[in-house]
Amino acid sequence: MALLPIGYSVRSLLRRRTATVLTVLSIGATVAVLAGMGCLRQGFTAMVTERGRTDLAVFLRPGATSEGESGFPRESVDLLVKETAEVAVDGEGRPLAAGEMFLAVRRRKVDGGETNVAIRGVEPQTFAIHGDDVRIVEGRKFDPGADEVIVGRSLSERIQDCRVGDVLVLNTTPFRVVGVMEARGAFDSEIWGDVRRMQHALQRPILSRVIAVLKPGSDVAAIAARWQDDPRVQAAVYTERDYLENQTRQLSATLAVVGGFLVVVMGIAAAFTGVNAMLAAVAARVHEIGILRALGFGRAAVFFAFLFEALALGLLGGLVGCLLVVPLHGVRTGTTNFDTFSEVAFSFRLTPEVVGQALVFSLVLGLLGGTLPAWRACRMRPTQALRRG
Amino acid sequence: MPWRLLLRNVRAHWLRSLLTFLSVAVAVFLVCVLQGAVRTLDASVQQAARNRLWVQSAVSLFVNLPLAYEGKIAAVDGVERVCRWQWFGGYFQSRDNFFAQFAVDPDDFLPSYPELEIVDGSYEGFTRNRTGCIVGEQLAEEFGWRVGSRVPIIGTIFQRADGAPWEFTIEAVYRARSPVLDQRTLFFDFDYLREALEQGAATGPPGAGVYLVALPPARDPTPVMAEIDALFAGGPQRVQTTTEAEFQRTFVTMFGNVGTLLTAISAGVVFAILFAVLNTMLLAARERTRDAGILKALGFTRGTVFGLLLSESMLLCLLGGAVGIGLALAVERGIQYAMAMMLPGFELGGATLALAGGLAAGVGLIAGVFPAWLLARVRPVDAKREA
Repeated sequence: MALLPIGYSVRSLLRRRTATVLTVLSIGATVAVLAGMGCLRQGFTAMVTERGRTDLAVFLRPGATSEGESGFPRESVDLLVKETAEVAVDGEGRPLAAGEMFLAVRRRKVDGGETNVAIRGVEPQTFAIHGDDVRIVEGRKFDPGADEVIVGRSLSERIQDCRVGDVLVLNTTPFRVVGVMEARGAFDSEIWGDVRRMQHALQRPILSRVIAVLKPGSDVAAIAARWQDDPRVQAAVYTERDYLENQTRQLSATLAVVGGFLVVVMGIAAAFTGVNAMLAAVAARVHEIGILRALGFGRAAVFFAFLFEALALGLLGGLVGCLLVVPLHGVRTGTTNFDTFSEVAFSFRLTPEVVGQALVFSLVLGLLGGTLPAWRACRMRPTQALRRG
Repeated sequence: MPWRLLLRNVRAHWLRSLLTFLSVAVAVFLVCVLQGAVRTLDASVQQAARNRLWVQSAVSLFVNLPLAYEGKIAAVDGVERVCRWQWFGGYFQSRDNFFAQFAVDPDDFLPSYPELEIVDGSYEGFTRNRTGCIVGEQLAEEFGWRVGSRVPIIGTIFQRADGAPWEFTIEAVYRARSPVLDQRTLFFDFDYLREALEQGAATGPPGAGVYLVALPPARDPTPVMAEIDALFAGGPQRVQTTTEAEFQRTFVTMFGNVGTLLTAISAGVVFAILFAVLNTMLLAARERTRDAGILKALGFTRGTVFGLLLSESMLLCLLGGAVGIGLALAVERGIQYAMAMMLPGFELGGATLALAGGLAAGVGLIAGVFPAWLLARVRPVDAKREA
């Protein structure tokens, strides 16, 4: 069976330039919308999970899905750290573990309006635990016991009173901003201070969670099983990575539903556009089809030539769609992480995965748009086609 | 204008006409739904009552206010009624059955919400029964609850010492005619919660999450807000009093810039469809070169040739627009139901439909003008030559 060379299909596209450009733009606009949604989803997921460590354990109150809901009294925190043999120690023999207080507080944005910002009361060991993942890029760390805070870099430009030297009032206590930190993930959108000072200012006797570095080879599931039914204090234990991945589920699911709806509905319209373009291509080349058939090319050859043409049209649309969203890459935006009810900043990300999905989608559009016209073309009898042309 | 020729042209390439018309219909449908969502979000802010204020902690959504605040707020000049609201955060049977539960003061709750209608049972029953509750119509329907049903809710923030779920008896079913309230909420008596905490039968944070303050209609809220905030400026918990509109706005903006996102998607849809229709009309114009030449030779004017093609474009787009709007109206109730919590009171609204219709007409016009102009320039000799 002799097939027509792909060059034939491509040259046919080039010959009717206006129709090709318009169809490609139409499919491109559709693909761009979906790729844009993909960039949003990837950006959010990457921001939340990029610092998910597997050697860092997170202890929460059983039943709590996030630190915002979780709570432990100080004694329970100490007990959890002391009685978990897998917790690693630093050079001086102190456990690499810290109790933290977390609260989403209302702050005013620089450009007006209000948002919820995560406040984290941390212990000196917290910095040892995170090492280079949290770096001071301006000013200095807060002094333990002082009414001082450091703020994440994403916050300092967006939220009022968050620049070095500013005074930030929590309830009735003023805290001085002494430094800006750069951190991966959601920490970059948080305010950190001494946990005891924060507890005092916010009148919260309860800590939110415990984090602890585990010795290499520790089994988190085994730790979790032990603390699940301990009569003294019950805790749910996750690796940081699992904990963070759980938090992306809700927004990911919402975006998946909205994206799926758009894929189907916009896909239908785009496939119709493809059918129209290809029907016109077939109609304009009836005579040519007759010649091809008369030369001895079979039905399959004609069918595939037109199908390739449609696929190429779809693929071009997909590429244009991806190009259209390139400027989105890196654009900062913010949303609320509904598990912790705090605003997080992140950037749209055009990843290979998004491009791959967009191209597959555009090929599917080409396939849907090309099948019927290609079939029509290959059903023509050579004599008829020659006569009609 | 030879209208019959217009219809013949549409019919001559019926498959192409049909597909173009259907794509316009789909695009208009999508624009209606997306813009309807944007407008509903706006409406939840705009339709908020002017005479309702929310008093909450100035520090955080998650910090409760002392119960002693209620009396002090009630004593402020101009305050008609104060109602405690506490987020309960429990679940029925499984965490997947998510819906909101609030502990409120039955005596002050309904009078503060004239847009709430009791459709089954009696509100008096709710005010008398300490363990009574009222539920939204849609919630009752989903779980097959009726007045008199007992509903066990498992507490997460508030846990009973005996480990058992909290038991509520449904006394009434409500329907909300406002995007401020959804149809899937359970309201129960605040005192049931408070007594359980005070008697040690349950554990959880004390106090009330927010106080709803009702003012007489037409009362200026600004001085009242300032006075309430000043009452507690020295602690122990500073408060922030906002109008209901502002309160709603903070929740709407939490998602991020949803309005911009949805509008950007709508713009993408409109562009995709504009290029598609333009392509169709250019194809039509090319095919009709000969027809146009003949029409001109017969003495029809440029205007007729121009008008014929433009009318064809407009016809396809307006028909598509009408069907798209019809489709959107047909699924309006379904979306309302499915999005009852995220977008309570979803409504397309006349303005959305007008916008969608306008866009359809605009696409028809823009996509038709250039091809029609090309066609109108055709001279009889060109047409003869090309044929």
